[in-house]
Amino acid sequence: MNPRGMVGYHPEQLIPHDHILRYSFKERLNHWIAAGSFIYLMLTGLAFWSPWLFWIAAVLGGPELSRFLHPWIGLIFFVSVCYMFTLWANQMNFEPVDKEWWNSIGYYIRNQDEKMPPAGRYNAGQKLLFWSFFVGGILLLASGLVLWFTESIPWSLRWIRYISVVVHAGTALLMIGSFMIHVYMGVFAERGAFGSVIRGDVSLAFAKRYHPKWYKEIVGESDRSK
Amino acid sequence: MSQATLRVQKISGHSGTVPGRDTQREYTVCKLVDTTTCIGCKACEVACVEWNDMPFSPTAFDNTYQTMPETRWNYWNLILFNEHEREDGSLQWLMRKHQCMHCAEPGCLEACPADGAIVQYTNGIVDFQQANCIGCGYCITGCPFNIPKFNSVTKRMYKCSLCTDRVSEGLEPACIKSCPTGCLHFGSKDDMKELAEIRAKQLRDHYGYDKAGVYDPPGVGGTGVIYVLHDATQPELYGGLPSNPSIPLAVKFWKHPLKWIGNLAMVGGLIGLFVHYLKFGPKAREESDIASKEGQ
Amino acid sequence: MTNGWVDIKNADMILVMGGNPAENHPCGFKWVIEAKRNRNAKLVVVDPRFTRTASVSDYFVQIRTGTDIAFLGGMIRYAIENGRYNKDYLINFTNAGFIVDKDFKIPEDEDGVFSGFDEQKLSYNRASWNYEGTGGKAPAAAKPGQPAPLPPLPERVNFDSTLQNPRSVFQLLRRHYSRYTPEMVERITGIPKDKYLKACDIFTSIRKDGDTKKVATMIYALGWTQHSFGTQNIRTAAMIQLLLGNVGRAGGGVNALRGHSNIQGATDMAGIFDNLPGYLRVPVPADGSFQGWMNRITPTQSKPGDWTSFNYWGNTPKFAVSLMKTLYGDAATKQNDWAYDYLPKVDRNYSWVNIWDNMYNGIVKGMFAFGMNGVMIGPNTNKNIDALKKADWLVVGEIYPDETSEFWRSPGITQDEMKSIQTTVYRLPCAGFAEKDGTFTNSARWLQWKNTALPIPPGCRSDQGIVAQIFLKTRELYQKEGGKFPDPILKLTWSYTNPNDPSLAEVLKEVNGKTLVDAEDPATKQQLKAGQQVPGFAWLKDDGTTTSGNWIYCGSYTEAGNLTMRRDSADPSGLGVHPNWGWSWPANRRVLYNRASCNGDGKPWDPARRQVWWNEATQKWVGVDVPDFKVDSKPSEHMGPFIMNPEGVGRIFAPLGAFADGPFPTFYEPVESPVDNLLYPKQSHNPVVRRYKTPEDKYGSPKDGYTVICTTYRLTEHYHYWTKNNPMNVQLVPEPFVEISEEMASEMGLRGGERVKVSSARGQYIAKAMVTKRIKAMNIDGKKTYQIGIPIHWGYRGISEDDGRTAKTPVNLLTPTVIDPNAYTPEFKGFLVKVEKA
Repeated sequence: MNPRGMVGYHPEQLIPHDHILRYSFKERLNHWIAAGSFIYLMLTGLAFWSPWLFWIAAVLGGPELSRFLHPWIGLIFFVSVCYMFTLWANQMNFEPVDKEWWNSIGYYIRNQDEKMPPAGRYNAGQKLLFWSFFVGGILLLASGLVLWFTESIPWSLRWIRYISVVVHAGTALLMIGSFMIHVYMGVFAERGAFGSVIRGDVSLAFAKRYHPKWYKEIVGESDRSK
Repeated sequence: MSQATLRVQKISGHSGTVPGRDTQREYTVCKLVDTTTCIGCKACEVACVEWNDMPFSPTAFDNTYQTMPETRWNYWNLILFNEHEREDGSLQWLMRKHQCMHCAEPGCLEACPADGAIVQYTNGIVDFQQANCIGCGYCITGCPFNIPKFNSVTKRMYKCSLCTDRVSEGLEPACIKSCPTGCLHFGSKDDMKELAEIRAKQLRDHYGYDKAGVYDPPGVGGTGVIYVLHDATQPELYGGLPSNPSIPLAVKFWKHPLKWIGNLAMVGGLIGLFVHYLKFGPKAREESDIASKEGQ
Repeated sequence: MTNGWVDIKNADMILVMGGNPAENHPCGFKWVIEAKRNRNAKLVVVDPRFTRTASVSDYFVQIRTGTDIAFLGGMIRYAIENGRYNKDYLINFTNAGFIVDKDFKIPEDEDGVFSGFDEQKLSYNRASWNYEGTGGKAPAAAKPGQPAPLPPLPERVNFDSTLQNPRSVFQLLRRHYSRYTPEMVERITGIPKDKYLKACDIFTSIRKDGDTKKVATMIYALGWTQHSFGTQNIRTAAMIQLLLGNVGRAGGGVNALRGHSNIQGATDMAGIFDNLPGYLRVPVPADGSFQGWMNRITPTQSKPGDWTSFNYWGNTPKFAVSLMKTLYGDAATKQNDWAYDYLPKVDRNYSWVNIWDNMYNGIVKGMFAFGMNGVMIGPNTNKNIDALKKADWLVVGEIYPDETSEFWRSPGITQDEMKSIQTTVYRLPCAGFAEKDGTFTNSARWLQWKNTALPIPPGCRSDQGIVAQIFLKTRELYQKEGGKFPDPILKLTWSYTNPNDPSLAEVLKEVNGKTLVDAEDPATKQQLKAGQQVPGFAWLKDDGTTTSGNWIYCGSYTEAGNLTMRRDSADPSGLGVHPNWGWSWPANRRVLYNRASCNGDGKPWDPARRQVWWNEATQKWVGVDVPDFKVDSKPSEHMGPFIMNPEGVGRIFAPLGAFADGPFPTFYEPVESPVDNLLYPKQSHNPVVRRYKTPEDKYGSPKDGYTVICTTYRLTEHYHYWTKNNPMNVQLVPEPFVEISEEMASEMGLRGGERVKVSSARGQYIAKAMVTKRIKAMNIDGKKTYQIGIPIHWGYRGISEDDGRTAKTPVNLLTPTVIDPNAYTPEFKGFLVKVEKA
């Protein structure tokens, strides 16, 4: 059954020992391509951002190589983010329940997840992260292209360069912030989440706790029963 | 040249202090370009190419006497030709020697992320150190005068060095030496400023150029290249010389406020998350929850 | 130059006209900038285009090319009307007060020609162009079939110091230029009247209110000389400078900017057919003997009775005999008329354009071209190429293959035509300028020795080595085979240490000359031994005891050594004299006629810039420069400062045979002109200019559609036709172009960079258009007229040419075969074309 009619959607399977397959192989591979490239971009980017971190470029093969590879890896990152878009964009639209979820963010921070309104496959925070990475990726690409081919911008249009340096650095900072929260959540805060992007599955209990609405869809309960 | 000397007062992309900061005893050097006596002969262009052994590159006819539209990685010094007609129908053909201005507050150095790629000596010369350059082109964005240019083969940035190799040996820059009319002068900033003001005054008093003056823009802290202009109120007439240049606001914002905000945010964020973990720990393990709820 | 390069810094006022020194003499132009920077000097520029010189001028006026005499004649009128001249100087140092022959008529009275014009022969009988007076040497007898010799200048000239006599030079001058009113000047030159008057006012302001301290200089180049009246352009300038009293003064003078580093040396050493070294006039068949030759070319004094004239050319026989002794050594004796018979007698005009015309007509069979790209120089390149096709042989001495050596495959020549060309072309690889030593003589008459910087590449030879080989082989052939008249070759001295490749230092020694016997200078008691170098031309004698290859260079290589090698930059007076830097002719004088820098009493017009002055105590002329004068001649003797003229004074009126086309410059239109002569409607063009008659000598006019005026010139970034082979210069200016005014371009719908075709009656030139504000349309007598300008530097061989980036058309395809009747310079600077999109 394919309740959402999405292209490329793998119907979640219940798998042994009370687990659900949350992410397919393609999704996981793409995630790690994105993650790996992002980490490279972040590290080299930080090297270019601050003289105190310039040594990072030396460790990663030298400053010249870092400058050379950074935009190419950036393209890879952008392509993988675009693939994510095709995979998940229509699951990431903001719905009324998300507004409630934001209003209850205090409980989420204090780990009082039972007080949160029922989130679907993706909660509002995850949706925000998705859009941050997508929009951020576009901004980084656009400004990044300007910085990559700076000499192609004629002197008369130099305002484009000025905007680009601020947008690129500012967006990168926001992305790093999102990244920090994302890694914290995925590695430290939500036990079981990390496995979902390695082996692909989560436990039913995990699904029930953090994505109750999604859990109900998987096990077949209608939305009306709570 | 080692950068750990007293003669370097600013280094791009550098963490920590610079050994030569505030140690200056010698004067800052200055190149004076008197546009009112420039005849556009291009001896200075040729001298620069010859002294720096620069390879030739193709040029094309472009309806002007100007050799090429902009400086290149292998052409650091260019006379800009601009024809203007005054209200009374008389003509002005302005010729300005265009090259790195060696700003006291260099935008290129400010923008450069690579440690040691751009240095400023205590004598004021701003020098690209190609060995440390990563070819990112941020200096292009930082420069208010459209000077640094990229070589796509070597992936480095290039510009006029104010003949630092000659100046270090007590010689004047190659362009100064070659100028046949003596329109170019070289010496200490104070001396050149004085000479420039004398010439500007002569233009006002004896030649009817009542707006003649000296171009030494304060917005970049003054420059190592100053101009005497027939009309100091309209520098744009001289091939787009900016009237009030400064390091672009975007670059200043990026390197100062945004740097502080960003660094604080990142460090703060890391600290915040660590503290959060200390205080709240991970979210509860879900199995026991379910087990207790479902009674399994 | 009468003055020098560095001397320009002493000027208060500078007129640049017929020249573009900022572009073509940038190093020399520094002295104009020095004058501005240090003396608040003002620069006035008059040019058909707004040049780089104009860009630093204080007042610029755009003029129609070829109308300089109208402009300058009008300025003479202005100066006289407004009292802007040095009256004292004018009366005493020029021939303004001389009375002129009653038969002399100015063109105003004669439909545009002077008295004595022969319409059949297109030449003047100049007998009436004389002073009125008494005495003078008898003329040579008329010979059958030869034109009647000119009468002599009178020894004692009638004189009016009040300048009021209607037949005084001054009143004739006034009358002659009275019609050159500002309104007429505007109609002819296209300069609006107010602008013209302002230019005259500015330039002559140095003599405002009787000021005699200030000084003005005029500097010019080929914009004045390259016209069919070029010599008269310079004459007008000289007259203005004499009127204003600027000649002989520091910062003044009449200053030609020579176009090549050693062309002054070339003319000094007689690289022209009608001179021998030192500007001695060549012998002609009618002379008959050495004495006959000397009689004709040696002037005698001609001046008011109570004046004195040094008449230095009166020493001609000393210079001539010394030259003959140099050339023929012991073979020149008093008995054999100093080997007069060995000299070629110049029977007609062998000037540059005539050489090519003769070659075209089959008279000249072969040519040696050393560093001379004749096909590119033109005029009328096609005619020159066709002339070479008819020659038997051509030898080109060059450092790279140039258009002349490749004439046989110039664009447009088909394979079949190439096969039919029978000319044998020899290419001799020569040495470049950095590989040769010797002297260059610059515009300031300074001889400066240069050492070789690089060795001559293997396989190449020095110029003198090649000439030596040719001479030695010719001599050998004459020795073996005899000939009609072998003596001039066999008896020519050639006593160099290395006869196959003579050292130029030895040649310079020979040029300086030596004494063949022990000698003593009566004035200084200095002694010389036989064989020693003479210290100066005052030592030269006409009795065969001295030699000198060029009397004006005598003093350059004395017993003290090669003075042209001196490099002492000291200038104690601050006037830019630098007396120990190099050696300047004559006698190391830096400013000619410098006695005129003082008034009649021997006191400088401007003590702050005193150059020479009369020292009452020592009874001598002394100074910071070598006095160009007889040093012990008291001011009361009233000796004229212009010691090379028989009158001893400057010539406002140039009498008798001085010029072929008139004693006063007269405005004539260039031979190809869009309008008739408004001043002399019955005589539009220079009456003695002849046109050439081969089928290739075509001349265009407006009715054939040639309505645009064209001028040609040089750029700073290129040097004639060889820098197109040098990547540095090609990088600076890679492609040829045509400068066109914005109005004309918009009328044609033309944008900058689009190709245009410029055609004259002789050929076509194709290049990109440079659309510019710097040439404006002109209003010539109510008619809108356009001028265009073309830089000369491209041909059919070179870096851009070989890359296919140009149309391979030399600009001299366009220029006319029309020459000045005195100096024979072609009219490169003003001719008619039409312009179309290509």
